[in-house]
Order: sequence, then structure tokens, then C-alpha cells
Amino acid sequence: MWQALATGHEGMNTVTLSVHVSDVEALFREHNRALIAFLQCRLHSLSDAQEVAQEAYLRMLTMDHREDIDSLRSYLFRVAGNLAIDKLRKHKVRSDFAAAQSHDEAMDEESPAHHAMAVEHVTGIRHALRELPPKASRAFVMHVIEGRDFASVAQAMKLSERMVRYHVANALAHCRARIDEEEIP
Amino acid sequence: MAHLKHDTIVSAAADWWVRLREPDAEGKHVEQWLTWVNEDERHLAAFERMNDLAERLGTLDQVSRQSLIKAFAASTAAGRRLGVWWAAAASILVAVLAGGGYVAWMHARPEIATQVYQSGIGQNRDIVLSDGTRVALGAASTLSVRYGKDERDVTLSRGEAFFEVVHDSQHPFAVDAGDVSVRDIGTAFDVRRTDRRVTVAVTQGRVAIADRRANQQGTLEAGAGERVSYDPESSGMSVSSVSPEQVASWRHDRLEFIDEPLNVVVANLNRYTEKPLHIADADLGKLVYTGSIRIDAIDSWITALPDVFPLRVSQQANGVTLSDAQPRVHR
Repeated sequence: MWQALATGHEGMNTVTLSVHVSDVEALFREHNRALIAFLQCRLHSLSDAQEVAQEAYLRMLTMDHREDIDSLRSYLFRVAGNLAIDKLRKHKVRSDFAAAQSHDEAMDEESPAHHAMAVEHVTGIRHALRELPPKASRAFVMHVIEGRDFASVAQAMKLSERMVRYHVANALAHCRARIDEEEIP
Repeated sequence: MAHLKHDTIVSAAADWWVRLREPDAEGKHVEQWLTWVNEDERHLAAFERMNDLAERLGTLDQVSRQSLIKAFAASTAAGRRLGVWWAAAASILVAVLAGGGYVAWMHARPEIATQVYQSGIGQNRDIVLSDGTRVALGAASTLSVRYGKDERDVTLSRGEAFFEVVHDSQHPFAVDAGDVSVRDIGTAFDVRRTDRRVTVAVTQGRVAIADRRANQQGTLEAGAGERVSYDPESSGMSVSSVSPEQVASWRHDRLEFIDEPLNVVVANLNRYTEKPLHIADADLGKLVYTGSIRIDAIDSWITALPDVFPLRVSQQANGVTLSDAQPRVHR
């Protein structure tokens, strides 16, 4: 996929891009996994992360003043971060629209097998969350499951954003560790 | 509280995950994070595991989402309102008793002919009452309707019904279901009765819900998006949130359950299947279930049950029996 993308652009503008392509290829080799991880963290979706990363490399290939940039790596992550913000904004518009339009939001993915899986999964999380201080589980559920940002959780819980981040991090580490125990006995 | 211990990589990965979540983490944070990632190859792997869990939780189905939010992040606004209502209930009660009118009016009501509506197993019915109020009656349900001079009185003796009430302040509309009485204040709402357990879910307007037993006085108001569950064993009502889609689900051939004991789930499923389920071991009935079940796919739901609960399914000619799973031998 990457190769196709690079050659496509090379064909368009061979002279200036030849330098770029090798640089961007190096970035891809060394940092792609971290870039995807960074974007997945922002976007809550691996497929969106892959899509945005692709777009970020494309921007790197087509940018003009590359001599102004001291670190290509930082620039790549900055571009990707900004694209992620755009993506989230579009998602929000679309989901607000869908919520206003649709009455059947909960109708998809309802096969018994899907539910069996979901229920089992939820049971594990539920156990893990019960072991936590209530503030930690609450902040975690509001942020990760309800999708509220730290500022809105902080406001609802009357805590500082710093405390909310502290609780969410603790809860996340705990849930991850508990689920790992179950999955890898 | 359990002792919380995880290894330092897991904790660090979770800290980084939280720090990178928001846009202001741009630049400096990302650089520091990349340094951490390059220190040890396990670091990025641990971080990816955080992403994986967060993505799975962020994309749960609607019902599971709701149940977790309800259990751990129930809105404080609802809680506060509930508290106020129970406090207010006492004073309202004093006012009613002092007036004496309510009790007298209840007894002065003349006897009026009662219309009874029933539905068979697996059959939902739509009914329009004489005042234009629309009722969707669930399967295997019985509803009696008695419109008096002063009041419109409906009794749900079993099953489920969804009401879209034509409001008339001169003639209050009330649904009795076991110990619970629901009074409409211009509304659409659903009442489900499973033996003595009753749930009321409101999709529009408000209702007042009362415990009818003589020694249990008090009224609770519920508005659109709220679900009140009455459990005779705990003798209490609990409030949770519910979407209009969830309330409507059974009218679209899908039964939805949020944190309900398996015996309640089974009793309601049995209203829709000719092959009734039977719980052989009482402890199984207390297992809590959250999920939705398609009425045309009850069999496959049953087949999937042993994956979720420690139980065994045996098919008989006249039904299905759920019993305790054999104790597993670990080797």
C-alpha cells in the first residue's frame, strides 16, 4: 500500500519528490507503529488511525518548505495530530446528525453470539471496576465509555482535570491488568 | 477495596495513554512519549494494549454501554431528584390525608363494566381505547380496562403494555400492576409485569409511580428517558435511564434487558416462545443478564447461553431446561 502511494506521487513530480520519498520511507519504517499507536489513542479506532496515518504521510510527501523543518519526525506527529482533530470533529458532526435522524441506533449488531461476547466482556470489566475506588471507576466510565472529555468529566465530578486524568489512568491500568489475568491464565 | 498492583510498565503505559489523549499533548508530550517508547520494546506493546482495551470499551453495543454507565457513572442529577422526591412524598402524603378527599373519592366510585384484553403466546396486539388512548399489548399479556366517571383505570395483570395516553386532566389515567400504580401526567410509557416485579419506562411526558401496599406510601415521579424498577424482594424502586429505542424494542420483535435476573428474562421470553424455558436450579435465576434477544432467534440465543453463564441447556419435547453446569475439573 505504501509503495503504491509513493510511486504515484513520484510520477507526478519526480525531481523534488525523490529526496522526500526516501525520507518519508525512513519515517515510515522507524515510526509507523508508534504513529499508529499515537493516533489510535486519540481516535479510539485502529482503522481510523491507519487512515489518518496514510493521509499524514501523503502530506509529508507533498509539502513545500521542507528545509524549514528541523525534525521530520516531530512534524509527522504534528501533522497527524492535527488530522486526528479534524477527523474527530467530522465524526462528531456525523454522529450528532445520526442521533437526530435515527431511531434505530441500537438495532445493529444484535446476533446472540455478538451479545454473548459483549456480555462476557462486560462482566470482566464490571468486576475490575468494582475493585476500584468509586471516583476512579466513574471517571473511567465517563471518559472511555461515555466518551466525555476530561474537562467535562472534571466538571461533572467537581474535580480538577489533573485528578480526573489520575483516576482514569489508574482505572485503565487496573482493568488492563485484570483482563490480562483472565485472558492469559 | 482490592489491593491494586500492576507492574510499572502497565502503569506507565496507562499514564502515557491519558497524557496523549488530548490535543494539547502536542509536541513536547509526544517527543517525551517517543523517548519512552524507544527505551524498551515492551513499552510500545503495553501502550498498544491500552489502546486495544479503550477501543473495545468505546465501541460496546448500546445496551452494555448503558448498563456500565448506569452502574458506575449514573448521573448525580437523577440521584438528587430522587432524593428530593422521597422527601417531598412525605409532605404530599400529609396533605392528601388531611384533605381526606382522595380516600373518599376512591370509595365513592360506582361499578362500571370492565373490558378485558388478552393476547396469546408470541402475539403482540394493538388496541385503541374509547378515549383514543393507544395500547400496544405484548404477548401473553392481560389488560383490563375500566373507564369510570372520574377515572380511567387500567390493570395489567401479567405481561407488558405500552401506552400512549390521550391526556385529560378531568379523568386521570392510571395503570395498576401488582404493587405498583402508575399515574399519567400526559404521557407515553411502558409497563411490564413479571410476577410481582414491575418496570415502568417513560418515553414522553411524566408519570407518578406509587407503591399501592397500604403500609408503603410514597410517590415517585419519572420523566422521559427514565425507567423505574420495582423489586418486591428489596421492596424498593430504583431509577435508571432508558432510550426510546429500548422501550420500543419488544414492539419490533426484540426483547431488551438491562441488569435483570435470569428468571425475569426467562419469564418474559416465555411470553414469546411455544417451547418454554424452565430454570431447574434456583440459583441460576439470580444471575444478572444484560443484552437483547431477537424473538425470531431465541433458539440461537439459548445455544449461546452456556458461553456466558455456568449452565447447561437440555432440549426436551415440550421445552428447554436450564440447569447448573457440571462442576468443571481443572487439570
